[in-house]
Amino acid sequence: MNLTVNGVEARLVSPPLASLLHVLREELGVTSPKAGCQQGGCGACTVLVDGEPRRSCLVPLATIEGARVTTVEGLGRPDDLAPVQAAFHEGYAAQCGFCTSGMLIAAHAYVERGGTDERGAILEALGGHICRCTGYAKIVAAVSAAARGDVATQAVEASYEPVPGEPEVLVKGSPA
Amino acid sequence: MKAVGARLPRYDGLAHVTGRTTYVDDVRVPRTLWTKALRSPHHSARIASLDTSRAEQHPGVRAVVTHEDVPKNVYGHLEALGVPGDEPLLAEGEVRYRGQPIAAVAAEDEATAREALELIEVEFEEREPLFDIRKAFDPGAPTVHEWGPAFPHFGPHDHRRVRKGDVDAAFERADTIVEGVYRPGAIEHVPLEPQVALVVPEADGRLTIYSCTQAMYFSMGVVAQHLQLPLNRLKFVGGTVGGGFGGKVDTASETIAALLAVKAGRPVKWRWTREEEFLASSTRAPWHIELADAVTKDGWILGRRTLTLHDAGAYTRFSSYGLTKHAFHHSGAYTIPNVHFDGYVLYSNRVPTTAMRGFGVTSVSYAVELHMTRIAEVLGIDPFELRLRNANRIGDTTPNLVVLKDPSTVPVMLAAAERVGIELAPEYRAMTSEPRSGELLPEHLAGAVSRTNGKEAG
Repeated sequence: MNLTVNGVEARLVSPPLASLLHVLREELGVTSPKAGCQQGGCGACTVLVDGEPRRSCLVPLATIEGARVTTVEGLGRPDDLAPVQAAFHEGYAAQCGFCTSGMLIAAHAYVERGGTDERGAILEALGGHICRCTGYAKIVAAVSAAARGDVATQAVEASYEPVPGEPEVLVKGSPA
Repeated sequence: MKAVGARLPRYDGLAHVTGRTTYVDDVRVPRTLWTKALRSPHHSARIASLDTSRAEQHPGVRAVVTHEDVPKNVYGHLEALGVPGDEPLLAEGEVRYRGQPIAAVAAEDEATAREALELIEVEFEEREPLFDIRKAFDPGAPTVHEWGPAFPHFGPHDHRRVRKGDVDAAFERADTIVEGVYRPGAIEHVPLEPQVALVVPEADGRLTIYSCTQAMYFSMGVVAQHLQLPLNRLKFVGGTVGGGFGGKVDTASETIAALLAVKAGRPVKWRWTREEEFLASSTRAPWHIELADAVTKDGWILGRRTLTLHDAGAYTRFSSYGLTKHAFHHSGAYTIPNVHFDGYVLYSNRVPTTAMRGFGVTSVSYAVELHMTRIAEVLGIDPFELRLRNANRIGDTTPNLVVLKDPSTVPVMLAAAERVGIELAPEYRAMTSEPRSGELLPEHLAGAVSRTNGKEAG
């Protein structure tokens, strides 16, 4: 069996009915797709198969011979983020991060298809992706920003330089 | 202080959005074995016999453990704080909830581990389970633990008590008694990352434990006790949790994985399925809360009687602590000078319950807020006005005699009213958290307010 994963050709020895999720995680060491439920119910394992978002836990290897598979590792690097990655980072749309890979893949496919910032359409595109930290509002806002192109693909940097003359206690009567 | 109000990127944000955050299940160690657990199919049963010999001989199986392999099988999550332990790591003699682990297998791969479970021979004598804690005290009710239906270690009592003021006198004086029963249900946390642990026996005799726990040092203590190992033999690696919400405060997978790793002399991973999460992981507790308030027709709460039943599930875990918090918060954000509270931690044949986002407090807040609205309806008073009048002020004392220094009820209620567009009468809109006086300090509250208005607690 052959696949192209994030632009790299891979020859695989897994049995034909092994799930794409298992092949990616256990055989190729590509760990961004998560085994959240392994029943197609949570969306955390979503990857692009020939450009289409698919639940990799439900895709048998034999059905995608020769396909191009893209995971979050293939979307962008820390110094060169894809728009949806930058939007999620800027917009605090990842809390625990476990659903984020699947959300990003669905969002990326939506934006690449020319999806707009219309809320209903974004909710449709993210349907079946579960977030339990309840970050839906920020996730939808981030996808909306990416769809508008309202993102800087260079991530913001925190500054930890001391500020001269900064008072120790800002609130009168504070025990700090 | 420059970070306050500043917009800083998350320290783990870039790793999250590039798929590079390493969760426990993403750690790769060569020669790692897979784990499967034999779980009770019954809610309540005696284990008549347990034979793992065929599973041990199955090709590819590297270790099988039962209660006989655990150096200290019965322990409790709060035992280090003096709460006696009651929960076996692996069931011994009986099972008390469906999904309770009885034996565990480590094998070369997941399929082999699953096959080995089929080879474990176990005979059960099923018993009638108890699911409704309201029936726990009934004659002939099913028994969960031999010591009785309730957690027995609240000092000399089998329940948590709070007594303040003279409740009988308050009920004598009341214009009306308002009663209510409130039953918040169990909730499964459903973290996207299922329970998972990876334990690596190191050449120096230590165990490296990759853990999804929310409570590293709790978990370290639990593993050390069950395995009877000194803490310096355990290295915990954690802090990257794929959602927890309290459900990963329990040490659910590390200890059994560690036991198997020691026995097999190989790295062992145990990742639960989503089905196991729903079946056997702990939940938020269901509660049964009965309130009776002695109220005056102009909207003062003179006294409250409370009976709370807390469903611990099959074992105590953190329930006694949760009930204690519940007791301390049972007057809610309001000042009630006379209270009489009895709360029981009762056992059932449900999955053990645990922490979840303010557990103990959320249940009583739910009951109290519904009850406040009920009182307002009975008296024909605006629910905002009823709350604002009884709201905690500086110098008011809580049921457990804490003198309040900075209560927030009044400003929060005023802000809430404004946001939802509720027009309050001017005297309510002008209210503050300042110490009670005048009309806000009626006779029945005189003894309940600190004379120094909390300033001695400064």
